[in-house]
This record gives sequence, structure tokens and C-alpha cells, in this order.
Amino acid sequence: MKLAYQFMATIVVCFLLELFLPWWSLAIGACAVAYFIGNKGFVSFLVGFIAVAVLWVGMALYIDQSTHSILTEKVNRLLPLNSFLLMGLIGGLVGGFGALTGALAKAK
Amino acid sequence: MKLVKLAISLLITTSLIYFLNNSWNFGSPIPPLGKFLDPFHGFWKNAQTAAVDSETISIPGLKDKVTIYYDSVLVPHIYATNDEDLYAAQGYITAKNRLWQMEFQTHAAGGRISEVVGKAALDFDRTQRRLGMGYAAETSVKSMEANPIAKAMVDNYTKGVNAYIQSLSYSELPIEYKLLGYAPEPWTNLKSGLLLKYMAKTLNTGERDLEMTNALKLFGKETIDLLFPDQEGVGDPIVDNTGNWKFKPTTLDSVPPSVPNEFVNIKPLEKSPPDIGSNNWAVSGTKTKSGAPILCNDPHLELNLPSIWYVVHMNAPGVNVMGASLPGSPAIISGFNDSIAWGVTNAQRDLVDWFKIEFKDKSKNEYLSDGQWKPTRKVIETINVKGAPVYYDTVVYTHHGPVVFDQSFHGENEKNHFAHRWIAHDPSEEVLTFHKMNRATNHTGYMDALDHYTSPAQNFVFACVNGDIAMRIQGKYPVRRKNEGKFILDGTKTSNDWQAFIPNDQNVMYKNPSRGFVSSANQYPADASYPYYIQASNWEAYRNRRINTVLTQLNQITPTDLMNLQLDNFNLKASESLPIFLSYLDSTSLKGAALEAYNKLKQWDYFNTIESEGAAYYEAWIRSLTPLVWDEFDDPKTALPRPSTFLTIKLMKEKPELDFFDVKATPEKETAKEIIQKSFVEGVAAIEKWKAENKKDLTWAAYKGAVANHLLRQKAFSYNIEHGGNSSIVNAHSKTHGPSWRMVVSLEKSGINAWGVYPGGQSGNPGSPYYNNLLQLWTKGKYVKFTFVSEAEKMKGKEIATITLNPASK
Repeated sequence: MKLAYQFMATIVVCFLLELFLPWWSLAIGACAVAYFIGNKGFVSFLVGFIAVAVLWVGMALYIDQSTHSILTEKVNRLLPLNSFLLMGLIGGLVGGFGALTGALAKAK
Repeated sequence: MKLVKLAISLLITTSLIYFLNNSWNFGSPIPPLGKFLDPFHGFWKNAQTAAVDSETISIPGLKDKVTIYYDSVLVPHIYATNDEDLYAAQGYITAKNRLWQMEFQTHAAGGRISEVVGKAALDFDRTQRRLGMGYAAETSVKSMEANPIAKAMVDNYTKGVNAYIQSLSYSELPIEYKLLGYAPEPWTNLKSGLLLKYMAKTLNTGERDLEMTNALKLFGKETIDLLFPDQEGVGDPIVDNTGNWKFKPTTLDSVPPSVPNEFVNIKPLEKSPPDIGSNNWAVSGTKTKSGAPILCNDPHLELNLPSIWYVVHMNAPGVNVMGASLPGSPAIISGFNDSIAWGVTNAQRDLVDWFKIEFKDKSKNEYLSDGQWKPTRKVIETINVKGAPVYYDTVVYTHHGPVVFDQSFHGENEKNHFAHRWIAHDPSEEVLTFHKMNRATNHTGYMDALDHYTSPAQNFVFACVNGDIAMRIQGKYPVRRKNEGKFILDGTKTSNDWQAFIPNDQNVMYKNPSRGFVSSANQYPADASYPYYIQASNWEAYRNRRINTVLTQLNQITPTDLMNLQLDNFNLKASESLPIFLSYLDSTSLKGAALEAYNKLKQWDYFNTIESEGAAYYEAWIRSLTPLVWDEFDDPKTALPRPSTFLTIKLMKEKPELDFFDVKATPEKETAKEIIQKSFVEGVAAIEKWKAENKKDLTWAAYKGAVANHLLRQKAFSYNIEHGGNSSIVNAHSKTHGPSWRMVVSLEKSGINAWGVYPGGQSGNPGSPYYNNLLQLWTKGKYVKFTFVSEAEKMKGKEIATITLNPASK
């Protein structure tokens, strides 16, 4: 149950933070959620990783659909990896390490 | 232990953020990945649909409300109540659609690309600085700001651009800023000045004085006169006014040209390719179906994305004008209003000279002039380089201009110092010309506007609703002595300097000629009775003749006829040379690929259409032929010029035994005939190689392989183009250059009808459907019929969105 809470809360908090703050506010969101309702270290990392990856890729898919992939195809030619994969990975890592930091701070 | 773990985790998180928040270069550049990929602020925010939002914005300093309607191709129709607001709104809306391009092009003009892309651009930046681009722009801004109208134009344009820049958050930045990890700086009047000088550089730097100097030393005067004549004696001049030049010309004492004794072994600067040129013409109502004059213009430039042109309709009391503007400069450059239309082609004239400088010593503090040592002025150029230390470059100025080459720049030793004299360094107020032209109502207004125009010299075509048509070749031209300007000049004697300028009213011009049309296509400007000596590195030999032939034949002309002429793919060069080339081949001995090529060429109708195979074979043949003929001009150490293709073909016909036809590398003696045979074999081999490499059917468009490149040469934002034509053809579309704007205006008394298109789109955003929608029309040879109404109320219902600009309350 705690897994689902942390997962949902991370998505909601990061979404709200990103409306006002730059992209790196993800780390703050994931960290805070893990601190207050997080799981233990590695589990928190995984939940943070997946939650942020889902948030980012979900948002991107929504934009991609509503703009008929007008820019996605072009940017995919620029990047070494597919943009969805790459952003899942990058967002995930930042979210994961943010959550891990929060979980470790709580366990201290 | 727990604390250590926490610290490590925190450190990883922050380092990760730092890494992903900045751009890097590990062999290839990496954007700030986190920032760039973020779907809340990153590149995703640049993805758009065809629907455009209406907006209301407050701009400080605006006098009154301005309404801008976007039409269905995103052309803004600006309705203001005064000129100041009109220019502010033009600045605002242009920046909204083209900000990154505006800044990048002015960075390029001023030699500041290294700070965006790194060391790779350092030589380019140093070239710009050493040519005095900044110096030229500063001089021109000074003259603009000295004139109240010009000052109001640039001040308000700048205000509008800055209002847009200040409104931007990171997520709204153009994608290129996000990709390269930088942000726009405030716009200034100097940037508008730089942009105009960038155009001047593009149009003036076909000159080859250094190469010609080497050629003169190597081959002697007789050969130079044969291979590089002042004119090639082909076609009509732009203005034939024989016997009617009724003025007393300024004359100068002749001075023998003093050419340096040693070869000039420096790496010449990159030149504007000869496919930079343009067509324009106006036909009188006596030749048109409607009885109204029709004016056409298509400037040929490098085809880049975002496009060099941005179409705007500008309306305020006393002005209702529409046409192509240059993003970064106020007013409209090629367009029409309720009464007149005008357009431009390059005048080609030589407006760049190089003076050999003698410095007193290595310090370069003094230089010799008429037996005296004069002080130099030194400018230290500071070039910021991304990912590398700042580069300082000292440029020495003389009274001629900046000394471009030295040991540290393109020169092999400290012997060759050449100062760059360029007309664009002189004070000028071009924006005033366009302000007045935009408001002109008749021929007098057009003439008055052009009196303010200095550089780059252009052939200004004109037509008026009242029936007048005209052509004027306007610019500030030094009075030349014979052969002056072809070679490097001795900079130690002021008698070699530019002594006087041709008065404006003695420039080449005429009105309503009896043939019923005026036209220009970069050919020689005037008939033999024009009293001034005229010289250029390149006069166009083919397009102008085709245009004049068609215009002479046509009667009852419609706008569609003239669109067809702009799109005309007839290859006059091929029609004049191919029959002779083919006659030198022994068709009975040909087999396989050579026989196929021969047959395709034999059947070819000389039209460079998309599907044509003959056009591809001919082009491959010509590309092999000229290097074989002019092998004497290929010297890895000494830069030499190349005679024109027209002259090459002419010599093959008239002097087939000429020594130059002998290939130096072979023991036997070749004539034109053997060159033609050899180059045929090479051309066919080139086509076979192309077929093998590309694995597709041979067509002209595929072989040409044309592209519209993004300004960053970023393939993902560029497009391949399948289009006919070629350089030297009226539809002058080569691999990278071509008609950058096609305009047709019918000046009917009941109202103007105008069409236009350019290879790009009104939006500079690769994530917008308006980024390449006009490119698609252009490629198919289609035009947009422009919406052009003088009252704002009548725009209602024709718009897809409305942008309202309000004065900001204090």
C-alpha cells in the first residue's frame, strides 16, 4: 500500500512543482515524498524512478499525440536514443536519486 | 555510516542535476539533456499545431493600440495608428516568429558564432571582424540615428523586439536556444545595422582581386583580356538608353595600375557563389491582358531555414504596404503598396578593392602614404569561444579600411598586407529608402526613396498603377579609371584611392522604354554610350537573354504567364553548347552507358525539369569539362580565378586550338574536341557512380540533390527539395541556392492583386506546421494569393488569430 502511496504522491507533487519551478524540482518532489511517506532506501529509489519516468513520458506522449508528432520525429534524429526512452531514463534517475536521498534522510 | 550514505546519495543527485542542466562537448555536442527533454519546459513546449492562440499584450512606450491579424499562412497584417507603433509592432511580431534566426544572423554578421558553437567558427568570426563588419554597422547606425525618421524606425523596431524578448520564459524560448543551451540578449539598433551589412557582404563578395593579380602576373595582360573581358558582349544591357545620357560625367586623370611584383600567396576568403543573383522585370500595360502593369521579382540566395524573408502587411495612416522583409530590419524590402510595386536584383558592380600596405615596422603603428608615415588605428577584437578561452585579435585600420590578412590570418608571411576598401564601410541610411519606398505613390516617390540608397548596389525595378514602369541601378559607385579595381592596388599612393563617386542622377536608369518592359538578371547594366567605366567579377550571360526573349514574344500577358516565366526551366546554356559537344562525339563507336547517355542527351529538349535525365547528363558533363579546360588555373599554392562557363563555351567554338585546351598532365596535345570527348567519358562515369551509390533512378532533381538547410546545418530541421531549374536558368534553383522569394504583382486601378511564395514558412519554429508549409508550395511551383486590405475591419473573418498590442500603463 505504501508503495502505491509513494508512487501516486510523487507524481502529483512533481507535477505541481514543475508548474512553477524548473525541471530539477523533480528531485525535490521525489525527495520530500520519500521522506514523509517513503519506503526504505532501494525500494524508494525504484518507486521514485518509475513515478517520475511515468510522469515525464506520460506528459510527453500527451504532447506528442496532440501535435501529431511534429517535433518528436525531428528530435529523435538529433538524439542518440529515442526521446521517450532517454527522458524516461533521465527523469527516472533524477527522481530515483531524489527519492533515495529522502529515504536515507528519514532513516538517519 | 547512514550519514555517509545520505551524503553520497545527495552528492549523486546534485551532480546528476548539474550534469543534465548544462550542455557538454564530448567529441560531439550534447544539449542540457534534463532541461531539454523536460516535457513541462523543454523542447516539447515548442511542438505546435496549426491552431494559433489570440493574445493581448502590453508594451511599454507604445502610443496607441495595434491590432495584428494572422492570415491562414501566418502572414501578420499589422494595423497601427502611427508609424512609430507600426515599426514597434513589426519588431514584436517578427521576433515572435523568428527571434533565434534574427539573433543568430546578427551574431554571424558581427563574428560572434564561436560563442554559440565553439572553436569551429573561429576562422569565420575572425573573417567577419577583420572585414570590418562591426565597423561598417556602427558607421551605418550613426547615420541612421542622425536622421529623425530613420532613428524612429530602428528605435521602435528595437523596442518591439525587446518587448517580446522580455516576455519570454525558458519554456517559450525557440528550440535552438534550448538545444545549444543559451538565451537571447537584448536587441539593439546595432544588430539591425549588422544584418543589413550581412546582406551587403553576401552581395558584394564575389570579387577576386587577389586571384586576378596572380593571374595577370602568371599569364600576362593579353591572356587576361581574352579570358576575363570587361563584358562578354552577350544579350541586352539592363538599360539601353543609347545616345540619351545627357549629363557631363566626372572624369579622373588616368593612373597606371600598379600591381605587386610577387605572387599573393594567401588563402582567399570564402566567396559568395556565382549562383547568388536575381531576376526582376515589369511589363507595361500595353503588353498585359488587363491593361495594368505587372511586376515580378525573385532574388536568388542561399536557401536556408528559417528563410531569409518574412512576409508582412503594414498599415497605418499614410501607408499600406506588403511584401518581404528581412527579419532584423524595419520596413519592407521587396513588395507593393496601393500605388506601386518594386523589387531588387544585385547590381554586381565591383565595390570592393584591396590596397597593398607598407608598414614602417613590425609594430604596424605607421604606414606609408604619399611618402609620409601615417599612424594606424588598432582595434582589439574580443571573441568569446564556447568551451575555450577568449580569443583576442588585433585588427589594424588604415584610411583605406581594415588590414585583413597577416601572418596570423590566411597569409604565409608578413609581406602581404592588404587593406580592404568596401563601400559598405561608408555612412549610409538604407532604411530610409525603404521607409520612403513603402509610402511612395508614383515614380517621383520611387526616385526620391532611391536617392537615399547607398549599398549594396541593386537594380530596382518599379511599376505604378498609373501605368509607369522603370528601372534604376542604384548604389554609391566610385568613378573608375579603366581596369581600376580588377587587381590589387598600391596603397602607398593616394592617387590610387577612390577619388569621386558617380552622382545619383548620373546612375543607370530609365522609364517606360519603347519595348514595353524593363528587366534585370545581373547582366551588364548599360549600353556602350554610358560614359562611366563599369567592371564586375561576373556578369550573368543566360537568364537575362531567356527572360528578354520570352517577354518580347509575349502579349496579352497574365500574371500566370509571368509565374510560368519565373518557373521557366529552359537551359539556354545547354541549347547553345550541347549540339556542338555532341557533334564532336563519334556515336557509332559508343556502347553501354556511354551510348545510353548519348541517346538521352540527343533526345533532351533542354528543359531542366524534375524528371529530366538529359539535364543530369549535361550537368555531369559540364562539371567534368571546365576543370579539364582550366587545369592551368589549379594551383594549390597560388589562388587563381576561373573564366566563366559562357566564355569557356565561346572559346571552344571560336578558338578550338587555344593552348588552354591542352591538358598539361598529358603528353599529347589536346584541342577543344579532345576535351569534349574526355569530359564526356568522365561525365558518364560520374553518373554511373552516382547510380551505383544512390541506388535510384536518374532524374535531374535526384542528381541535383537540393536541400534547404537549417542555419545550424542541423539535418533534423532541414529538408531535401525535389525541384527543377539550375543556376543560369530563369528558375535558378541549384543544390543550395535559388529563388528565395517569388513575387508577382498586378497593379490594377481597381486594386492590387499580388502573389508570392518562398521556400520556408512564416514560423521559424521547426515544431510548427508553418515552418515549411510555404516550402511545399514553392517546390510545386505554387503561389499564395495575398490578402491585402486597407481597412482593419475588412480583415475580420479572414484571420486565424489576433494579436492585440496595448500601451502599458505607467
